[in-house]
Amino acid sequence: MRNNWQPKPGDKFVRRPRVKAHPLRRVLGIPGLYSVGYGNVGSSIYYALGIIALVAMGATPIALAVAGVFFVFVTLTYAEGTAMLPEAGGSSSFARHGFGDWAGFISGWALMLSYVVTIAISAFVIPAYLGYFWAPLKESAVMSTAVSMGIIFFLMIINVIGVRETSFVNVLAAVMDLLVQILIIALGFLLVFNLDVLVHNITFYWPSWENLILGIALAAIAYTGVETMSQMAEETKQPAKRVPRALILMIITVLILFGGVSTVALSAMTPQELATNWATDPVAGIAHSISLAITPEEMAAGLSSEKEAVIVLTWIFTELRNLLPGLVAVLAASILLLATNAGLMGISRLAFSLGRHQLIPSALSRVHHRFKTPYVSIILFAAVALVILVPGLFAPGVFIELGALYVFGSLLAFMFAHASILSLRIKRPDLPRPFKLGWNIKFRQWELPITAILGLVGTAAIWLVVIATQPYGRWVGLGWMAIGLGVYFLFRWRKRLPLSQMAGKPARPNSVGT
Amino acid sequence: MMKLKRILVAARGNGADEEAVKLACDLAKKSKAGIYVVYIIEVKRSLPLDAVIESEIQKAEEVLTRAEDIAAERDYEVETDLIQAREAGSAIVDEAMERDVDLILMGLTYKTRFGVFDLGRAVPHVLKEAPCRVLLCRDPVS
Repeated sequence: MRNNWQPKPGDKFVRRPRVKAHPLRRVLGIPGLYSVGYGNVGSSIYYALGIIALVAMGATPIALAVAGVFFVFVTLTYAEGTAMLPEAGGSSSFARHGFGDWAGFISGWALMLSYVVTIAISAFVIPAYLGYFWAPLKESAVMSTAVSMGIIFFLMIINVIGVRETSFVNVLAAVMDLLVQILIIALGFLLVFNLDVLVHNITFYWPSWENLILGIALAAIAYTGVETMSQMAEETKQPAKRVPRALILMIITVLILFGGVSTVALSAMTPQELATNWATDPVAGIAHSISLAITPEEMAAGLSSEKEAVIVLTWIFTELRNLLPGLVAVLAASILLLATNAGLMGISRLAFSLGRHQLIPSALSRVHHRFKTPYVSIILFAAVALVILVPGLFAPGVFIELGALYVFGSLLAFMFAHASILSLRIKRPDLPRPFKLGWNIKFRQWELPITAILGLVGTAAIWLVVIATQPYGRWVGLGWMAIGLGVYFLFRWRKRLPLSQMAGKPARPNSVGT
Repeated sequence: MMKLKRILVAARGNGADEEAVKLACDLAKKSKAGIYVVYIIEVKRSLPLDAVIESEIQKAEEVLTRAEDIAAERDYEVETDLIQAREAGSAIVDEAMERDVDLILMGLTYKTRFGVFDLGRAVPHVLKEAPCRVLLCRDPVS
C-alpha cells in the first residue's frame, strides 16, 4: 500500500447511506483551501486599484489599509462562524442560525448581488487588459462592453454544459496571482519606488473627506473572496481547525501584497494618471511604468564588468522590458477570466444552498436532466450580470457605479455576519466554537468579540455613506433587495412557511463530518 | 495467483458493470474476499458537493441494486456504497485507500472520442494513483 498518496486540492466526498452509513472523509487541507480562496481574493486587485483611485486618488493606499482593517474583522468573524457552522452558505448560514430564515435570506440575497457584480466587473476589465494587444478593446466603450458581455455569455454556456474545472485550475489561478503580484512588487521596489515621489503623490492628490470615506468603502471590493473560502468549508478536512488558519493566512498574504502593489502604483505614476489612463487596468499601468524604467545597458553594466556577461544581461533586461507588459496583460486577463467563472459557480452554489433551506423558490435549484448543472440559476444570474453591464455601452462611468453596487451587497452581507456572530454568542453560548474570537467584552453574562462589534459598526457606517452618496448603488441595490424580499414573502406565504423562524432542517441524506 | 481479501468494484452505470461484478465474484470466491461495489456521482462545481440530484441518485440505486442481484445469483454478498465527489477517479482511489483493498476492478465499454479509443478521466487517474492492483474489464467492441 502506497503511503505517499496525497489527495488533490478539492478532493472530498459525501457518502449517502445505502447499506450502512460510513464516516465521511474530507480531503481539502489548508494549501488547497488557501489556493481556492486566494485565487478569488487575489484577482480583485486587478480592478479594485483603479476603482479606488478614481475616488480616493492619493489616499488609495490609505483607503486600502483602512478597508484592510475591516477586512481583518470580517475574516475573523467568518473564521469563528465557519468553524462553528461548517456548511455551505457563508454569512447567509450564520444569519439563518443567528436570527432566522428572514435574515438568512437578506444576507444571501445581498451576497448574490455582490456575486453578480463581481462577475460583471471581472468580465468588464478583461478587454482593458487585452487592449495592450489591440487598442479598441480598451478605448472603445462599445467594443469593451460588448466583449465583456460576450465573455459572460460564453462562461454561462460553459457552466450550463458543465465543462469540468479541475482543482488544478484553482491552484494554477492562485499561483499565477501570487507570481504576478510578487513580480510586480519586486520589480517595482527595485526600479520605480521612490519614497519622496510616493509621499508627494499621496499628499498632493489627497481627496476630500467625502471621497476618502467613499474610497474606503470601495476598497472593500479588493477583499472579495472571504465568502468563497467559507463556502468551501464543507469540502475541507477538519474545517473547524483548518478554515480559520487558511483565512488568517489569506489575510496576511492579501494585506502584504495589496499594500505592496498600491505603494508601487503610486510610485510608478500619479494618482491622476492611474485614475484616468489606467483605471480599468491598473496593474497593466504599473507594468508599463516598470518597463519604461528598465534601462538594459545601464542595469547590465551595473551588475557586471565582464563583456560577455554584460551582453547576456543586456539581452535579458531588454526581453524583460519588452515582454513584461504583454505578460502581465495575458496573465491578468486569464486570472480575471477564472475569477469571473468562479463568481458564476459561486452564485449558483449559493442559490442552490438558499433553495435547499427554502429561502428561495426551488425552481432556482433546478438541475438540468442531462448536464446535471443548476442551469436556471446560472442563466438567470448571468443574464442579470449582462443587464448590469448594458450602461457600459453608452457611458464609461459604469465602472465606479459597479463598485458602489458591489459595496452595497457585500457590506450588507458582512453586517449580517458580524451581527449573527454576536447574536449566537447571546442566544447559543453553548454552541461549540472550535475557533473562538478573543478580545471579548463582557456584557452581563455574555462575551462579545470586540472585532465583531467594531466590524458591525464600521461596515454599517460605510454602507450608509455609500447609500447616501451613490444614487446608482442606492436605487439599484434597494431595488434588488425589494425584488428579493417580494419573492421571499410570496414564496414563503405560498408554502405556508414561517417568515421569520427557521423552516426546519432541509432533507439531507447524510451529515457532513470527519 | 493473487491472494485477495478485499475487492473494490467501481460501478459506472454502463453495460460493463455486470461483467465486472461477475468477475469480482469469481475472483473473490476462492479466498472468500469481500467485495465492495461503489457508485460515484460526480457533482459539478456549480453545485454544492452534497447537492441532492434525484435523477442521479435514482440511477445509482438501480445500478447498485443490479450489482447486488448479480452477486446473489452467484451466491455472493456484496457491500454497496454511494458516494458524491467532484471527480470519480479521486473518489475511487480514496475509497481503495480507506478500505485497504487488494484489487480495484473497473468495467468499461468501448468508447471513442474523435475517432480514437477513449478511457475517459477516471480510469487513467485510477491506473496512475491506485495503491493496489487495478483490473480493467472492457466490453467487446459492438
